[in-house]
Amino acid sequence: MNLFRSKEHARKWTEFKPGTEAGLLTLADAMRVMSTPRHRDRPRPDYVSRLPETVPAFVQRLLDVSNNSPFWDLRPD
Amino acid sequence: MHLDETYHFIISVFVERGQAPHFTEIAAHFGIPAAEGRKRLHELMAARLPNWLFPDTDLIASFAPFNNLPTQYRISVDGQQRWFAQCGLESLATTWMFPGKVVAVNAPCLDCGEPLSVEILDGEIKRADPDGIHFYVDLPIKKWYANLPFA
Repeated sequence: MNLFRSKEHARKWTEFKPGTEAGLLTLADAMRVMSTPRHRDRPRPDYVSRLPETVPAFVQRLLDVSNNSPFWDLRPD
Repeated sequence: MHLDETYHFIISVFVERGQAPHFTEIAAHFGIPAAEGRKRLHELMAARLPNWLFPDTDLIASFAPFNNLPTQYRISVDGQQRWFAQCGLESLATTWMFPGKVVAVNAPCLDCGEPLSVEILDGEIKRADPDGIHFYVDLPIKKWYANLPFA
């Protein structure tokens, strides 16, 4: 789960695994993934209790950002 | 259980000082015996959140978005580098812990070792250097929880 200076740098990385191109996100998309209540609401005093409510928006955001890629699909099989 | 209260205390201490509290501090904060503080810590860490203890200890190793051990993701606020992020993705989520403040993420690129930096204000990327920064993970998200530290 790392940041790279560019997509090319990520692909050149010695630990890049062929076939995992779906694991690449632009910085803007990575920020979108981390911007639903799942992550945004961590400072709330009732964060843990409300976690189940945050799941649908997070799951949908992952699908939106990845164009419904199975790589980012958290829905049960 | 007291998951909300324990979580909120730990994350608040992290924001304030850049390090996790020990379970004795949890106990002192809530006015309970140390053993109860330890129990509350372990209950929270078993709650399937992206947080974990150093193996075979009662010591917090990571508590998203922060890391209690240094990582390559250095987080600065108001010019002070006091925090480390859990990973590249969570480094972006540190913005939510500092509302109204510019959060700077500084890290080396693992491919070339050259620096990259991102500045974020309330979830909006204000500056990124270089322009083409990308995130990469080699594991489908469904498999992350099998071994979070290595995802």
